[in-house]
Amino acid sequence: MQGTLDMLILRTLRTSRAHGHQIAKHLQRTTDDVLQVEHGSLYPALHRLERKGWVAAKWELAASDSKRELKYYRLTAAGRRQLLAEASRWKQMANAIARVMWPVEGS
Amino acid sequence: MRLWRRKQREHDLDRELSSHLSLEAEEQRELGLSSEDARYAAQRAFGNTTLVKEDVRATWGWTWLETIANDLRYATRMLRKNPAFTGAAVLTSALGIGATTAIFSVCDAVLLKPLPYSDPGHIVMLWEQPPRGETLGPVAPANFVDWREQSRSFSEIAAMDPKPTFVLTGQGEPARLTGAGVSPNLFSLLGTRITLGRDFLEDEDRPGRDRVAILSYRTWLHRLGGQPDILGRSVALNDISYTVVGVLPREFEFVAKASDFQARNQFDVWVPLALDLEKLQRNTHPLRVFARLKPDVPLAQAQADLNVVAANLARRYPETNKGSGITAVPLIQQVTTNVRMALGTLLGAVGLMLLIACANVANLLLSRAAARRKEMALRVALGASRRRLGQQLLTESVLLAIAGGSMGLFLASAAIRAVSPHVPADLPRASGIAVDARVLVFTGLISLATGILFGLAPMFQAQRANANEALKQNARIASGTQSRMRSGLVVGQMAIALVLLIGAGLMARSFWTLLHVSPGFRTEHILTARLSLSGSRYPDARRIAAFQRELLERVRNTPGVQSAGLAAYLPLSGTDNGWGFVIEGRPALRTGEYNLAKYRPVSPGYFETIGIPLLRGREFISADNEDAPLVVVINESMARRYWGQGNPVTERLQFGPPIWRTVIGVVGDVRHEGLDAEARPELYVPFAQAPNNEARTTIVVRTALDPIVVTTALRKTVSAIDPAVPLDQVETMEELVSASVGQPRFRTALLAVFSILALVIASIGVYGVMNYLVIQRTREFGIRLAVGATEGDVLRLVLGRAAALIVAGLCLGLLGSVVLARLIASLLYGVTPLDSLTFAAVSLLLSAVALFASYIPARRATRIDPTVALRYE
Repeated sequence: MQGTLDMLILRTLRTSRAHGHQIAKHLQRTTDDVLQVEHGSLYPALHRLERKGWVAAKWELAASDSKRELKYYRLTAAGRRQLLAEASRWKQMANAIARVMWPVEGS
Repeated sequence: MRLWRRKQREHDLDRELSSHLSLEAEEQRELGLSSEDARYAAQRAFGNTTLVKEDVRATWGWTWLETIANDLRYATRMLRKNPAFTGAAVLTSALGIGATTAIFSVCDAVLLKPLPYSDPGHIVMLWEQPPRGETLGPVAPANFVDWREQSRSFSEIAAMDPKPTFVLTGQGEPARLTGAGVSPNLFSLLGTRITLGRDFLEDEDRPGRDRVAILSYRTWLHRLGGQPDILGRSVALNDISYTVVGVLPREFEFVAKASDFQARNQFDVWVPLALDLEKLQRNTHPLRVFARLKPDVPLAQAQADLNVVAANLARRYPETNKGSGITAVPLIQQVTTNVRMALGTLLGAVGLMLLIACANVANLLLSRAAARRKEMALRVALGASRRRLGQQLLTESVLLAIAGGSMGLFLASAAIRAVSPHVPADLPRASGIAVDARVLVFTGLISLATGILFGLAPMFQAQRANANEALKQNARIASGTQSRMRSGLVVGQMAIALVLLIGAGLMARSFWTLLHVSPGFRTEHILTARLSLSGSRYPDARRIAAFQRELLERVRNTPGVQSAGLAAYLPLSGTDNGWGFVIEGRPALRTGEYNLAKYRPVSPGYFETIGIPLLRGREFISADNEDAPLVVVINESMARRYWGQGNPVTERLQFGPPIWRTVIGVVGDVRHEGLDAEARPELYVPFAQAPNNEARTTIVVRTALDPIVVTTALRKTVSAIDPAVPLDQVETMEELVSASVGQPRFRTALLAVFSILALVIASIGVYGVMNYLVIQRTREFGIRLAVGATEGDVLRLVLGRAAALIVAGLCLGLLGSVVLARLIASLLYGVTPLDSLTFAAVSLLLSAVALFASYIPARRATRIDPTVALRYE
């Protein structure tokens, strides 16, 4: 599921920058706690994505608390392309699986 | 720079993770948790911080290097913390690796290193294969010339005629040089470049043009001043003037055996062979023939080619060549053929010893692994992967092995220094034995392999460690698998030690038998020395005989000398000669067949001096001179073989020139070629009646005086008769006997050392396992003693367990020995490979030593104080 986590992280960063805790919370909330990942497992993935050049990281002042500096991640152009590619591959796969699991009946 | 960036990253990561944790904790607090609970909740949601950090670091790349560095640091710390364990393990592996390294360096120098010639793999020696004889023989000049013309597989063929006697005069004391006549292309065939001057020219290989010489570097330096102006100067060899045209490079080494093994590989001077093509002989066989295979011709094809040539020659010259073959032998094989088996055995023996040492270290590691089970379990519980743990353990064992290897290297070079004076003189290429780069690489690889080998056992253990159980369990109680593994290791050690000891026992018995063989002559109080009479001053038997008579006369009158005699071929000196002969009145043999006897010119008094008993008839007297009727004395083997129970005395026989010679006596057999060699038919003639001139003779003096005193007198005497006659190779008969058994002594001694080391190491192994068993079962023994078991009961219990292991080891070892002993059968003399006495004695010895080693911990088990034992952990 490693690739999946990567894709979810990239998708989370599509609209705006976020730090690790935000990403974790976002994933938890949007999946209604279905995806039970330990927060810690996010970080190896984030660092891997940074190394691949899909995300860029920078220490910036927190939006809510101007005294705190946090490490914010944002999507790079390469990351955007990767997200598109991953998403379409995932979609194909999901469709394919769906066709097998719930074939359209009648017709 | 890199390190700094790494630190920066590390710091960054810490900051990032802690800010995550505090954000999460804040959120939890806002949900109403106490600050402490909030912190725990945040940590729970986060997971294992250390593991996360490791995973993150893994994404940074090149962590494997760092992991290894960490492991090494940790391993070093662990090893340093347990000096007793580390010392024992390092010492044991050092012994194993050191012995293996030392023997490997010998094998490498003697067997493996390429010969010091260009493309040595393509150089072969060509030998005549006599019709019935099993041994390959040197080559007749006419055959050599025919081979050179008719064979197609070789780019070059060259011959060499060893000439042990070149008397150098006019340069101070007369000196005997060992020389050889060689084809002018021999050095180019070998790929040797002449350092100073030039090689022989093609037309110097003709009688009349051949008065030129090439010197060895040593001769040039030590005998002829070592100046470059030597070129063009003339030197007197056997009173003939030769012009020096070249000097060989310092590192040039001639590895083919000389006819005289004491001069082996030490050729001082080289002259052209210069065969007289008009008068080529086919019935004397003096030449050693070398050939270089054409680049694309395999040995088998060359051999097929030679077979055709041999068949042609046999058809054309049936009297001399019928049934005779030609055999090509690769030069390296030629050089090492006699020692390959012995060195292989030694290498096998140290390999086995190394295995025993490995088993010991593995055992040590296992007992430590038991003590470390809690630590390992804790690490597993904290998230260390099994792979990671295995890697850590392997690092430790490899580090141990490398420490052992370094120490072993040190031991090996010390051993080589200590042993090299005792290396047998006839071991080829022994001068190259050293710890060099090749040996270093070997030791490195062996150490790594050793470390992995003995690290496998504890690693296997760690893989099976169950965290929960280990944490709950008493650290001192080992699992069943572990003690099975340890017992298995000890049984294996016992078995291997037994194999080694039996090998050594067989060798020792064989050597003992060899030393107690009666050589057929007296060895005490006999001094021998070689004389060289140059052909130009002593051209015929008459002149030689006159010199000999005068010499013997004077030597016999020297105070302290009891008797003296002369022989052309002294037993155990490595010199020999043989002739075909016919007996009067016997039916003629078929073409190509002849009776062969060893040919032994001797002087009157020789038999008496060296103590060869006269069995029948009489021995030579001074009246058996060049003018008297021709007489011979034969040995017992010859009498038995050709006359059976009959009396050979007064029978007549012929060899060399067609003149009948009368048998006047029969003497006892001697072991001429070696103490382990069967006596051959031998035929003695007086020097005065010898059919050819023997320039080189050995004087044999029987004296009770110090050999040095007699040697001085002897030199004076020789010099008084003729100052141009050199005297060399002064040795007592005992020294000759000792040198002749140099190889068996060497290998027996080494094998004995290895097997005793193996015995000690294996006994330490038994001790370790039994000791461990006693510690493990301390409480049980305490209870037993408390409820009424006697000390004897406990002793029996422990020793019984030890005996079971020992017996299992013995059975396995005996089985292995039965198989392996056959392999060394060719190295044994006078003892069968399955010698029951050796097998029994060695098994007893091993059991006794191993039982004693177990007795020490067993004794301790009986002294356990029940009250202490019950509180024991």
